[in-house]
Amino acid sequence: MADAGRLPPGPTCRVDFLRPLPFTYLGRPVTGFAGDRVASALYASGIRIFSRSLKYHRPRGLYSMEGESSNTFMAIDGVPNECAEMTALRAGMSVRAQNVRGDPRTDRFAFIDRFDRMMPAGFYYRLFHRPYRLWPLFQNGLRRMAGTGVLDPRRGLGKDGPRGDGVEAEGGFRAEGGAGGGSRGRMGSGVRAERYLNADVAVVGGGAAGVSAALAAAENGLRVCLFERRGWLGGHLDWRTRDFDGVALHRRGEALAARLLEVQSRSPEIVKVFTSSPVTGVWGENLVTGFTVGTGDDPFRECHWECRAETVVVAAGCMDRPLVFNHNDRPGVMQVGAAWRLARTYAVRPARVAVFSVGDDLGLEAAIDLAELGVEIRAVADAREAGRQDPELVAALEERSIPVLSGWAASRAIGRRRVSACELRPVNGAGSRRFQCDLLVANAGMQPRIGVLASVGARLAYCSHTHSYQPIELPPGVFVAGSMTGLRDPRSIEASGRLAGLHAVTCCLGGAQKPAGKGAATGGREAKATDRHAAASVATARRAAAAAASPRHDAHAHPGPVAGCDIRQGPAIGRGAKAFVDLDEDGTYKNVVESARQGFDVPELAKRFGGFGLGPGQYRVAGQNLAMIMAEMRGDPVEAAMPTTVRPPLVPPSLATLAGPNHDVHKRTPLHGELAARGAIFRRAGAWERARYFSEDRACRDEIRNVRRNVGILDSSPLGKFRIFGPDALKALQRIYISDMRGVRHGRCKYSAMCNDMGQLVDDGVVVREGENDYYLTTSSGRAGTTVEWFRYHTRYDGWDYNLVNLTDVLGSLNIAGPNARKVLERVTGSDVSNGGFPYLGCRRITVGDGVEARCLRLGFVGELSFELHVPSSYCRYVWDLLIEAGADFGIQPFGLEAQYCLRAEKGHVIIGAESEARVTLTDIGMGWLWDREDTVSKKVGAPALRACEKQSGRMKLVGFRVDDGLGSPRDGAVVIDGDEIVGYVCTTRRSEALGWQYGMALVREGVAGRGGRIHIRQEETPGRQEPCTATVVPPPFYDPEGRRLRS
Amino acid sequence: MTFRLTCPVCGKRDVYEFTFGGQERGPRPAQEGLSAGEHFRWVQFRLIPGGPQREWWYHGQGCGVWFRVTRDPATNREVEGGGGG
Ligand SMILES: [Zn+2]
Repeated sequence: MADAGRLPPGPTCRVDFLRPLPFTYLGRPVTGFAGDRVASALYASGIRIFSRSLKYHRPRGLYSMEGESSNTFMAIDGVPNECAEMTALRAGMSVRAQNVRGDPRTDRFAFIDRFDRMMPAGFYYRLFHRPYRLWPLFQNGLRRMAGTGVLDPRRGLGKDGPRGDGVEAEGGFRAEGGAGGGSRGRMGSGVRAERYLNADVAVVGGGAAGVSAALAAAENGLRVCLFERRGWLGGHLDWRTRDFDGVALHRRGEALAARLLEVQSRSPEIVKVFTSSPVTGVWGENLVTGFTVGTGDDPFRECHWECRAETVVVAAGCMDRPLVFNHNDRPGVMQVGAAWRLARTYAVRPARVAVFSVGDDLGLEAAIDLAELGVEIRAVADAREAGRQDPELVAALEERSIPVLSGWAASRAIGRRRVSACELRPVNGAGSRRFQCDLLVANAGMQPRIGVLASVGARLAYCSHTHSYQPIELPPGVFVAGSMTGLRDPRSIEASGRLAGLHAVTCCLGGAQKPAGKGAATGGREAKATDRHAAASVATARRAAAAAASPRHDAHAHPGPVAGCDIRQGPAIGRGAKAFVDLDEDGTYKNVVESARQGFDVPELAKRFGGFGLGPGQYRVAGQNLAMIMAEMRGDPVEAAMPTTVRPPLVPPSLATLAGPNHDVHKRTPLHGELAARGAIFRRAGAWERARYFSEDRACRDEIRNVRRNVGILDSSPLGKFRIFGPDALKALQRIYISDMRGVRHGRCKYSAMCNDMGQLVDDGVVVREGENDYYLTTSSGRAGTTVEWFRYHTRYDGWDYNLVNLTDVLGSLNIAGPNARKVLERVTGSDVSNGGFPYLGCRRITVGDGVEARCLRLGFVGELSFELHVPSSYCRYVWDLLIEAGADFGIQPFGLEAQYCLRAEKGHVIIGAESEARVTLTDIGMGWLWDREDTVSKKVGAPALRACEKQSGRMKLVGFRVDDGLGSPRDGAVVIDGDEIVGYVCTTRRSEALGWQYGMALVREGVAGRGGRIHIRQEETPGRQEPCTATVVPPPFYDPEGRRLRS
Repeated sequence: MTFRLTCPVCGKRDVYEFTFGGQERGPRPAQEGLSAGEHFRWVQFRLIPGGPQREWWYHGQGCGVWFRVTRDPATNREVEGGGGG
């Protein structure tokens, strides 16, 4: 025995007392053991008050040991809202209480509990919303008092962690990226992983039913994934030592689990068992999602998974249904499962003296078991009438001289901070008895974990035999088994699991992808197997299923669902009682009464009004009780009440897990290393990581100056590059491009644009003819990914014979631009690159260096003499080195995206998304000259819209402007005004060194200003400038309007 | 949005792999004599049948084919026999 808080480890103990784990609670040293949860270790060390409640700051203790409420949410290693009941203890952990000042035993907000009368249900909304302007004040005050944990934003920035592979975003916030980014101690630290699974049968729940279902499916050769939220298989058999058929129940569970694990180790491709893996939801067509919490051996801390399954067997088991009675939230009031697992799984002594108030035979069994372990049981109340109990259990209790009070239940927990006594009363009738105790184990029987069923889309109805919600209609391929159906006998549970497994087999092998919706719970549709083997398997499976379900099967050996307990609330509950229906949100019985009185008298409305079931416990604690109590208040039969909608995640994973390991998936160009070596500062641009700046000067003055005066080199590899060929290639070009493409020639670039059906510019680029029905074309970088889709979409009815090949990643692109560009190129090629032999808009195949063939395009996006070399990606570095070396004498320097952005804007070249948007057409931005308005046979995409819009008045138009001196300097996005009216906005504006003034382009309502007119631009975002500045409209291009430089 | 679609080339695949291409609305109308109103009706107007409808999907993360399926947006499921083509 480890210490006073512990019991001697029994056969079901999961704690290893030979491996102590020191950790701290509120800074004080505590010792737990390997296998402990944080909460079990704290409880063993004497901690009873784990937190303070959300609204009333009532002391809260360990309640479910299964994470069903926020009672044991704590800050662990700085991460708030970690569930201490579910978190495995590790050495060195730092554990703190939250929602308290200091120690939860002495919380300075505790006084609030006495003012509960001032806080009826929905009081936030009803009391604090007027006057509206004060709401933020109230809100801040409420948040401070009612928060759940504090997030320390500094921890999220990774200042103490390695730099990962992330890209620094503009704000300095860093996205974690690459493999394994992150380190211990960071917010939600540790490696996150994700996994995508496929299965014929997904089994939710690893208890006796789930394991039996998995075995049945695996024996028929189907691929099975089984998900169990605990760290081991066996379900409720795991901690039960009661003898059954001469074998202890936990032995029976172990044997079942061992059989499945044996199949897994023999055929891992058939069976995959995932423990510590709660299911978060089941989605359309049986996509099961969840996460696995890493244990010591796993390479991840948490792993998100998705399993696409043909069929799903739901065997999620049961949980305690809370008993609603006065002060049922006092530390020392605990669910049956919690007290039992504390003792049996974690070898923690739950108390010295206990009283039980239960509604199910499992509760009686637990009482006997705890008595066996040395807990003094003063009394056992059972809400069921006498005669409904398992006589064997009653006899065992009486044998131990423990009074059994049938038809009684707990009515009150007594004690200010902890339970010191309790009061029991008959469910119907008068009288009461009081017992001293330090533990009150209470429930109202068991309720099925309906979350997965609700998530799967099952229709539920109240079953008045089991007094629980049961599925009456299941979606295709979903089957239910185990104790959730009301079964308690282990043989029945196993048989039901096996039956569900066989139904799943029939469904899969029968090729019956669509088994009948109704009745799917009891069997698939007639198998339509075409394959003889499959047919034989189906027949076998069906025979086995029939045998298992047959009434001739020994009915005595397979008892059906047991009758449940219908108690809704403890006896003598006052209308003003502080009896909690929902612990997380401090939702009391009294709040339900208030809610109903104000007309919010169905569970879904009460949920919104009083917050029932909104907290981490979701439907689990509150769901069934709220529905039953509400039905009674309305005077409805209990069957009429439906629980509130259950929403995923059924168990909350951390956001970091959902975000996944790779926050930033992007492409790098072949020249990434070269650019980095020259000091490039990279930014994301679409799918790519691109060199945006080459110095800290965000205006890129040096880069721009060097292009204008000498020569710059740009890595333009992300440019979209395509080949289109085939007999109907020209037809496709005619459909997609807005210009007449019939004249596209050899050796000459045809510049054109693509529009969508609304006439908006969506892409521009050049097309070159390379052979008979064979063309090469470029698109903007951002558009490259959707070009194939676009071509095929707009020609999908035509059946044309052409092929479009995306060469974007195959070919890199290097652009040299500036007055010295030709001198540089001459040094690396013997081909004729003279102005006569290779004029502006020419396209040549040239050979550079030791025989690298390049497509060379003479274009002028930045307004200077420019050559674009398209070479295979693998040669990019070689060609880069050649050009850099050759350009050394001519002042060659790399330039980045920002410099290119400014250079092209000086030329008035538009960029889609900057100067073009959804409200403007091609003609609105001054590019209508591209449109072949004569063509009415090619059905050009966008042409009808352009025709319809061209004569419309009041459209927005793109204009160039020059900012008048001395009145300030507007920025991108500044608003253009006419009096008090907003008439447009600035797309791009920069101060140009070459021009000596600030130029820009704006989209403004037509007619606001003609050439030479004035526009007014607001510049409030510019510090110290309240007055609008004025600008003169000048048509672009601003720089070299005659285009002499790019033709030189 | 976790349903599956049957690509005529690749078979049943997760919807993540596909791009929606809108309802079937017939081929692009001839431009000759097309009024602005007719054109905009073809571009913008949709009927919502409240049940199975013919749709275009693009298998972008797969074979790159545009195909039609009959699918019920109320259930997100393909309708039997409404597979690719
Ligand atoms: Zn495909």
